[in-house]
Amino acid sequence: MITAVQKPFDEIYEMIQGYKKILVLGCGTCVTVCMAGGEKEVGVLASAIRLANGKNGIEMDIAEDTIERQCDREFFDDVKDKIEEADAVLSLACGVGVQFSSEVFEGKRILPGLNTKFYGTTLEMGVWSERCAGCGDCVLETFGGICPVARCSKSLLNGPCGGSQDGKCEVDPENIDCAWQLIYDRMKSLDLLDRLEINEPVKDWSTGRDGGPGKIIREDMTL
Amino acid sequence: MNGIKSGSNLEKVFAAGKFAVTAELGPPKCADVEVIRKKAAFLKGNCDAVNITDNQTAIVRMSSIAAGFLAMQEGLEPVIQITCRDRNRIAIQSDILGASAMGLKNILALSGDHQNFGNHVTCKNVYDMDSIQLLQTMKTMRDDKTFINGEEIKNSKKDEPVEPKIFIGAAANPFGDPFEFRVIRLAKKVKAGADFIQTQCIYDMERFEEWMKQVRERGLHKEVKIMAGLTPLKSVGMAKYMRDSVAGLSVPDSYIQRLAKVAEKDKKAVAAEGIDICVEQIHRLMDIEGVAGIHLMAIEWEHRVQEIMEKAELLPRPAV
Amino acid sequence: MDTIDKIAVYCCENSGLLAAGPVTDRKILDSIEIMKLPCSGKTEMGLILKTLEKGYAGVMIVGCPKDNCQFIRGSHRASKRVDSAKEMLAAIGLDPGRVRMEFLSSVDSHKFVKAVTEMWESLKIATS
Repeated sequence: MITAVQKPFDEIYEMIQGYKKILVLGCGTCVTVCMAGGEKEVGVLASAIRLANGKNGIEMDIAEDTIERQCDREFFDDVKDKIEEADAVLSLACGVGVQFSSEVFEGKRILPGLNTKFYGTTLEMGVWSERCAGCGDCVLETFGGICPVARCSKSLLNGPCGGSQDGKCEVDPENIDCAWQLIYDRMKSLDLLDRLEINEPVKDWSTGRDGGPGKIIREDMTL
Repeated sequence: MNGIKSGSNLEKVFAAGKFAVTAELGPPKCADVEVIRKKAAFLKGNCDAVNITDNQTAIVRMSSIAAGFLAMQEGLEPVIQITCRDRNRIAIQSDILGASAMGLKNILALSGDHQNFGNHVTCKNVYDMDSIQLLQTMKTMRDDKTFINGEEIKNSKKDEPVEPKIFIGAAANPFGDPFEFRVIRLAKKVKAGADFIQTQCIYDMERFEEWMKQVRERGLHKEVKIMAGLTPLKSVGMAKYMRDSVAGLSVPDSYIQRLAKVAEKDKKAVAAEGIDICVEQIHRLMDIEGVAGIHLMAIEWEHRVQEIMEKAELLPRPAV
Repeated sequence: MDTIDKIAVYCCENSGLLAAGPVTDRKILDSIEIMKLPCSGKTEMGLILKTLEKGYAGVMIVGCPKDNCQFIRGSHRASKRVDSAKEMLAAIGLDPGRVRMEFLSSVDSHKFVKAVTEMWESLKIATS
């Protein structure tokens, strides 16, 4: 899923100053799974804002709602009125949802309550880890299902570097596993170690973000 | 290795079958040339070539090529370093052309320390290529006379190619993990184009000898010139720091005990003991089959290099 | 916002609730409102903040001792969430002392009284 974390409270609080009526809008998909912007988080943030306003003597109407996704037009129908009534929307969707909300509701101020982080997975409750960099040319077949682009701190295709120690990456040994130790172990278990003796040529980075903002068109699916 | 590829002094020393010696010079963190001149003066005549580091530990310093050129003017032969952290393939190939045009003949390919270690941690990560792809790039430019996109290295259609004539170096870490994979990675570097290798500094002789055994089993010592890395221990504090804080480095207790014993009697004599240990290491390394030279990293201790070389009986350096 | 001059005490029914049972001191009892939880681990940020939004002076979560929780790690979890709530209160600009975690066994009535008394002292100091 796309993972995100909530922005620090004071940053959010600063953003909403001056508005009389705001809607805190959550998203029921990725950010619910990573516990950053779902219905529960909307409730907590709205409470926190009200408590802060109470302390500071600020009058502000805080509405709350959550829709299935903020990256598909159809889900906005249920909250269309609430959005239109609000002076500003504090969106707890990922960067995609915040931007798309702005496109659907032209002229409406949509504020980002989250910092979008990475494509990742849930390791255990409360812990998420990056897995994919969206490079546009998947190399997982070559590396036994472990991505060196996303999981190696230096995105080495012919790793490891000298900083691999006890299976950890020297950049942050507490939190980052050495992707190349993982790749080595996996290829060994798959009996494919000799594949790692091949020198991988330089990558074509133009298939991803380096080639410019992406767009996908399925001609057979356009109306 | 057939025929001379670059004509560099280092290459010729190897070709003549002599035991080679390289040292290291860290460029200044400013635009001052004097720092280079001072360090160069200590190293001149005491080694066959000098590594000029490239923003080592991701701390901004004068560029390796610039500092290398200035060092060359002081009579040293530089080994330029290029890391993959800061430059993409356009800048790298451009720098290789520039270095070659300036008369710099030895280039060492490195992945480069992650910027997290340095003084500009918020910068963008490049790593367009890794060290093995960088070796391949240098080999392609030199031997195929093309850039890595296949275009010939020539200024216009009617001209002849003018390719960089370089002696290609790489680093190797006999002590990193996974241990079983280290020699395979060395083989990859040799296949990619490395002419010579410099290892991380060695204290654990047994482990290094084990690595060399595996290297010889694959015949790699015949395909590439291997230089063993050494850093003399200046003090007990330094020895302990190297043991505790530098990933992958194990410093035998016997060295620390030796230095501590001397420190008890006379603190000033510790440095000399450290140099003795270094000289013993050099002699032991010279006896290992497949070791073609040493890479002496006497960081901020350039003024003691001559003494080490004299005691190790490696002076004068061969004239080739 | 209304103010309710009481501490909302969420008691785990396996420990805190039983500890509070025998308390007869009117001063203590009038200053709190006891609410039951099946396990203190049910505590989440939302519960704490919404309770404060209602106007309560403070929120106390009473759970089992860490090494003797009926549901193994319930009170341990509750404690972590109380810590997060304290951080949120500080970020909002409110006194983090308005939320407190207590670990009590079912026989710790005297400790229950002590905890409530202490919390009121610190709240009064904070507001004075």
